[in-house]
Amino acid sequence: MRIFVCVKAVPDTNANLKVGSDNLTINPQGVKYVMSPYDAVAASKAVELKAANEGSELIALSVGKDNKESRQRIKDALALGADRGVFIKDDAAHRDPLGVAKALVAAIKAEESCDLVFFGRQAVDTQASAVGPMVAQLLDIPFVMDCISLEIADGKATVKRSAEGRVETLEVSLPAAFSAQRGLAEERYAKLKDIMKAKKKPQADFDYAFPDAGYEVTAMTPPPERPAGKIVGEGPEAVGELLRLLQDEAKSLSF
Amino acid sequence: MVTADHYKFDLREFKFLLLEQFPLETLTQYKKYEHFTWDTAESVLEECIRFAQEVIAPLNASGDRTGCKLTEDGKVITPKGYKDAWNQFYESGWNMIPIPEEEDGMGAPALFVVTTNELFSGANTAFYMYPGLASGVQEVIEAVGTHDQKEKFLPGLRDGRYGGTMCLTEPQAGSDVGFSKSTAVPHEDGYLIEGTKIFISSGDQDLSENVIHLVLARLPDAQEGTKGLSLFIVPKYRLNDDGSAGAFNDVKVGGVEKKMGINSNATCVLNFGEDGGCLGYLIGEPHGGMKEMFRLMNYARIFTGVQGVSVASTAFLNALDYSRSRMQGSKLEDFGKGDAPRVPIIAHADIRRMLLEMKSKVETMRALCYKLAMHWDMSLCVEPGSDEEVYHKGQLELLTPVVKAFCTDQSFRVCELAIQTYGGYGYIADYPVEQYMRDAKVFSIYEGTNFIQSLDLVGRKLKLRKGANLIDFSSDIAKFCAKHGEHPVLKDEVAELELASNQLTGASMALMGFARKNINLVSLFATRYLEIMGEVACAWQGLEAAVIAHDKMQGLDDSDSDKHFYEGKIATAKFFVNNILPGVSVKCAVLSKGDDSAVTISEKAFSTEH
Repeated sequence: MRIFVCVKAVPDTNANLKVGSDNLTINPQGVKYVMSPYDAVAASKAVELKAANEGSELIALSVGKDNKESRQRIKDALALGADRGVFIKDDAAHRDPLGVAKALVAAIKAEESCDLVFFGRQAVDTQASAVGPMVAQLLDIPFVMDCISLEIADGKATVKRSAEGRVETLEVSLPAAFSAQRGLAEERYAKLKDIMKAKKKPQADFDYAFPDAGYEVTAMTPPPERPAGKIVGEGPEAVGELLRLLQDEAKSLSF
Repeated sequence: MVTADHYKFDLREFKFLLLEQFPLETLTQYKKYEHFTWDTAESVLEECIRFAQEVIAPLNASGDRTGCKLTEDGKVITPKGYKDAWNQFYESGWNMIPIPEEEDGMGAPALFVVTTNELFSGANTAFYMYPGLASGVQEVIEAVGTHDQKEKFLPGLRDGRYGGTMCLTEPQAGSDVGFSKSTAVPHEDGYLIEGTKIFISSGDQDLSENVIHLVLARLPDAQEGTKGLSLFIVPKYRLNDDGSAGAFNDVKVGGVEKKMGINSNATCVLNFGEDGGCLGYLIGEPHGGMKEMFRLMNYARIFTGVQGVSVASTAFLNALDYSRSRMQGSKLEDFGKGDAPRVPIIAHADIRRMLLEMKSKVETMRALCYKLAMHWDMSLCVEPGSDEEVYHKGQLELLTPVVKAFCTDQSFRVCELAIQTYGGYGYIADYPVEQYMRDAKVFSIYEGTNFIQSLDLVGRKLKLRKGANLIDFSSDIAKFCAKHGEHPVLKDEVAELELASNQLTGASMALMGFARKNINLVSLFATRYLEIMGEVACAWQGLEAAVIAHDKMQGLDDSDSDKHFYEGKIATAKFFVNNILPGVSVKCAVLSKGDDSAVTISEKAFSTEH
């Protein structure tokens, strides 16, 4: 089996992001980049499947700026257990999801075969959840979103996905693409031995001429500041009012 | 509630040390470390940070509150989560960072080991002492064990099936280790060990299937004192042929101490051979135990200094965060105006004084640890037997007691300042700093008390090579001062350093004089002498960092966070030199006076009521 996992470099979720002075991009100064957490779940699952299916090859793909932080994500995937990495340079300040998807598809098609493609359910920076389905569409293969379990047997995948108020079980013919929800695999920590080995694993660049997106980001502004907190009262008497506010005003509770 | 993410560190600081002040490139020029590039270091560092923050930091406060328990049948139970963290530590292979590449390790230089040690230790000091001591045991067996001993004990120590301890102290023999009474009697399978050891860190636990103790004991023909001590490998359970735990080896836990800090590390009383069934295996030469133990001790002393830095650093950074968010008082200019806006306490001068004192101590001490590590690494890179090797080894020896004692004494004081910065909230358990201070106290006591360190410095290290180590140290500082005496921003501070370094030389001469005149005076002033050396060394390291920072910040504009980082380095060095280093002058004056009232006062005169 040939398995692909697509990973993206995103700012650490703890990072305090600031819009840059150009009002178009995030100021990268002092921001630590990591592999998008859902991608890490996807990579862990891909590694699991590779281990369970002898003779499989796991290839990590990433589109990103030609810098250390982005390239390091390929190394992260190699340290988790991918066999080799392919990096697609893209120095655009913003890249539309379709452009990223087309680049990934070109890189996948350049390989001999493709059985499985994994994504995280969304990149935690742009939160678009767009690239995965687009890749599947362009490859003309099935796509299952938000997978929480996945097993491969007899050339088919049995997948569970979480949806509103239910868990769906699906049988999917291969090749197919999947996006990982938390819980799909136990998240792995890279081992020292594997980080050292990763240094010696092949990493290639794949050149791709991105098409014009047809749109551009014209402004970026920070989100409005949060309004000050409200103390609704003290002790058990306050619970009723708190619930009412959470339900009616904040709309963060539903019964 | 202390949050799980109590642990704070500054990644930019580590990058400054490893790329700018002590560049790894210095080492990669040599065969031994040519594989160890920043690239390699960085990816491992990222994972170490994840482990430290996500796995062990969240257990720091809960482990402290729970502590270790001793069951009625003599088993030690560590706090919830420790076993999983231990397993994960070994699955990830973090103990293999210093192990050579050909043995599946990372082959990292001490420079990098210092970095990762700080991360693990700062995130959870008490937890990290479990694998830390096991690594020490691993190191000794690697260095002096027989082929069979290596085959037998190393695999389990490396993969986390075995923990490890070092057993020196006995009830009557603490600093006076030569007074140890534990015995070892030849037996067909090794030696029968008998005796009681106390204050054994990580002494027993439920993390690993076996514990390998290194025990100092006396052979029947041993002379008195430290020269009669031999070192033995004593497993808690005898090893089956496949390395698994076999029969109980009569190592009983007599008790787990209740203590002030590092509560989740089991400090044990261990009774060896109560029932006559404790087998040990001699490691190294008979009667050569202290020498072999010192391999572990030297390593442990350096990392105790790093422990000091690690806790002090997170204490400082927590206090810094708090001072930015705690609103209290108004600006001094608005004093007396009831309606003046409240400001975060970082706006107050006295808070800033404490913050900068903490920052300057933490950063200069950390740099001193890296300085020592660089000498250590270089001593392994250069031609064996060369003058360079002698020089680096000499500095390593000289700086070891200074790093151990100075960094741990100051660590406690930094933690205390961190509490003071918080005010009342620092004193309560809702915030992490009170635990830091409790944890940090032991650093100045164990691995040889800080007085023992000052005796080691004065009585041994100064005398080695007929005093050439100190001469090398002073001449390194003199060279730095000569080079930067005209520095546009730091020349006054460089002049102060030069003066303090000369005073240190004077104090060294005075101390030699005491040794001839009245040996009690050496004891009386050894601690202060070590402090003088610590302050001079830290001022030097701080200024070295500031000189680099000054060069690098040229041309950077205010929107660049590096500019602020470098400004911080300069402020740190200036503060240290102008506020802390002047203490050297006073201490040298006190030392040269040689007041001996502390020894001449009669015991009764201390108090007539008690």
